[in-house]
Amino acid sequence: MDKPINRRQWLTRMGTSGVAGGLALAGADSAAANPLTKPSSFQSSIIAESEVMANRASPSIVDGKVIQPARELSVLHETDVLVVGGGPAGICAAIAAKRAGADVTLVERYGHFGGLWTGGLVLLIIGHIVEGKKQVCQGIGEEMMRRLDKLDGAIVDRRAGVAPTVDAEAVKYLMVEMIEEAGVKVFLHCWGVDAVVNGNDVKGAVFESKSGRQVVLAKNVIDATGDGDLLAAAGAEYQRRSHNVGLVSRIGNLDRVDHKRAKGARKPKHLGRHTPVPGVNWVNMHGPEVDGLDVEVLTRMEMNHRKFIWRNMQKTRSTPGYEKVYLVETAPQLGVRMTRVLKGVKTVTLDDLRKKTTFPDSIGVGGSSAGDHQQWQIPYGTLVPEKVDNLLAAGRCISAEMRMGDLVRLIPNCFVTGQAAGVAGAVAVNDGCRVRDVDIDKVRKILRRQEAYLG
Amino acid sequence: MNKPTDTQIDGKTGRERRRKYARNAVRAAMLVAAALLLSASGEWRLAVIVPAASPLTTVTSLLATRMFQLASLVGLSVAAITLIRHRLFCRWACPTGTCAECCSMLNRRRLWRPKLPRVGQWVALLTLGGAAIGYPVVAWLDPLAIFSGSFGVLHSATSPRAAWYALGLATVLVLSVVWPGLWCSSLCPLGAFQDLLFRLNLAIRRVMFGKRKRSKKRATVGLSRRVVLASLAGVALAAMARGVRSAAGRVLRPPGAVDEERFTGLCTRCGNCLRACPANIIRPATAEHGISGLLTPELDFTDDYCREDCVRCSQVCPSGAIETISREEKATVSIGLPQVDMDLCLLGDDRDCFLCRSMCPYEAITLEFCEEEYTLTPRIDAAKCPGCGACQTACPTAPKKAIVIVPTVAARE
Repeated sequence: MDKPINRRQWLTRMGTSGVAGGLALAGADSAAANPLTKPSSFQSSIIAESEVMANRASPSIVDGKVIQPARELSVLHETDVLVVGGGPAGICAAIAAKRAGADVTLVERYGHFGGLWTGGLVLLIIGHIVEGKKQVCQGIGEEMMRRLDKLDGAIVDRRAGVAPTVDAEAVKYLMVEMIEEAGVKVFLHCWGVDAVVNGNDVKGAVFESKSGRQVVLAKNVIDATGDGDLLAAAGAEYQRRSHNVGLVSRIGNLDRVDHKRAKGARKPKHLGRHTPVPGVNWVNMHGPEVDGLDVEVLTRMEMNHRKFIWRNMQKTRSTPGYEKVYLVETAPQLGVRMTRVLKGVKTVTLDDLRKKTTFPDSIGVGGSSAGDHQQWQIPYGTLVPEKVDNLLAAGRCISAEMRMGDLVRLIPNCFVTGQAAGVAGAVAVNDGCRVRDVDIDKVRKILRRQEAYLG
Repeated sequence: MNKPTDTQIDGKTGRERRRKYARNAVRAAMLVAAALLLSASGEWRLAVIVPAASPLTTVTSLLATRMFQLASLVGLSVAAITLIRHRLFCRWACPTGTCAECCSMLNRRRLWRPKLPRVGQWVALLTLGGAAIGYPVVAWLDPLAIFSGSFGVLHSATSPRAAWYALGLATVLVLSVVWPGLWCSSLCPLGAFQDLLFRLNLAIRRVMFGKRKRSKKRATVGLSRRVVLASLAGVALAAMARGVRSAAGRVLRPPGAVDEERFTGLCTRCGNCLRACPANIIRPATAEHGISGLLTPELDFTDDYCREDCVRCSQVCPSGAIETISREEKATVSIGLPQVDMDLCLLGDDRDCFLCRSMCPYEAITLEFCEEEYTLTPRIDAAKCPGCGACQTACPTAPKKAIVIVPTVAARE
């Protein structure tokens, strides 16, 4: 085996063992604090089962139907603003709400923050630059990018008018740091599965985790799941859309391609674009247009894409000059682009973009992925469901016309809507009103104080 | 002529003088009115009146397209008036004539003026002859088209090439300074056409009322010979020009434009379509598509596209080069078809660009996924796509766009 691979592997191993070590230490801390743990002479200890799991009642088959008995759910936590989903929108929402003076809880399905940005390996931040070099995404999104600037090897191409590319691990690390600094209560490995609803009022959300089915009660809930899981669960109206579902991967040793030998041969496809790690590219994948909420479809996508990525790598390696290129990793998360979209009080439309419509309740400005494209204002109403109360959408599931979907779902636009939803949630809590009745001028004022750009 | 009186100054009677003042006042008013009609951006539809007021344009258009449009009424009324009163239009209304005469006054020395044959009459007859087979050879020499074109200057800020149309009027004005009166008397085809109309009227009257004047007979014979010769030459020229065009013609024309073969002949280069376009995508063509296409309107989708609810250019065309279409018809009138260069398309590089599909107002673009190659390729539904260019406008690749509209003829090949 080649030396550089060895070196890389060594580095990778060091990295993972470091993280593992850290987790082990954290585990030891919590184990010491846990009264259920009894010391033992073995390496592991016997732990008493929690009440949640002990009290669960399994579904049974009644008249040929599987019936789940009604039961009381344990309340894990109570909070002002509950943010479901820790992707770009969720992180910005949580930090913004906390900074605006609310007690905030963030719940994330995976073991890391960043959603598709990190777990989906969508490393390119695109859609925040308009009309040449103007950057419309400011606020917490820009703050994150600035902090990434200071980390070694975390972000490249941070020049005016250029879309930067980040390192996923750096972003995951930075988000932990920022969430902890802000003082947001976090639950990882928690999958938001249902909403707690009284009439039209959302009162919290139900989570499934290794600890069982539990509830976080909140005054306001922000759905930053991307898929709009909470919107659907709470009974808000939405539209279900299909889009391309792919699987991103990273490939390495591109700096060791022998271009002399590669001359004349057909350049392999799917080589991707550069990342902050030298010689490593991230390879985007479109995949077919499917329903990203169908578990069978998702399963098929995951398996097909893995097969393709591996086989394509073999093809690449059989190209003269490309023998040393290798597959670093596939993304932990499937690249689901668009699923549910809220039917909000207002909707962003392509017409408004073209007419450059300005909104008095603009809570941010979105950009487009293409060079010299216009900016468009995002009205607050796009986050607010028509019927359901105490619930806000943030990220790619905000109310947007079909044609705007590909612009709304871009990472910087998720930063923008996330931050706005967070501030609005906090203002509603502090003023004791419903999120739809929130004083929008106050929200805009706080957003401006948080350095957001509102157009 | 009246008896000489005290009021006689410069060999003119007071009545003539008053008449001259009145005439100048009317001409000035006509000039202002024409200018207002052409520059009123709110009432853009009215711009059609100015070039359509030319009886020459109206008659050639009727001959060539065999289609009657509302604006033709203006030209026909003018024709009817000039049939009765010789060159009444020239003397009382023509804005180009007024401008030319003002310029003529700049030249006090009245230098040598070339003695020219009746160029205008030949031009008018050539045009009419060509129009008979659908290709009015030099319709663009019409003075009202020239005058309308000069208003392209107003649009030079948004579309710099629009100012090119002003070249026509500039040439006429320079000619008038150098050789005063030359344009109106011997070059202008509209003036000559009015001569022809008046002579036609005389001939009719002669036949109907049997009034014969010996002295006119020779002239009439000469004229009819000229009419036959020039018209036949027009037909021949038109046939030749159409032959040449069919080989070269691959230009994107405004929606509703007649087939390319006839378009370059019918277009008067009045610039109305270009000025009416809210998206500023119409520009005058260079000679790259053949000399006969010079300054004809051509579409450029680099910065904007042909709006799905707009039919303005078809409503301001005085000559029928762009046939009037309705908003409902718009989606079915084909401008061209998009062609995708997958070497340039960002999808070919696995990038997440779906702009052409998002921006297509007709939902004519789908992205096809290839299971073997794992690539997405834009596919265009030719039945839905009128070639509005929204995809080309949206395409972010530079300097060359990955998706471009090509004329339907070229796309089919």
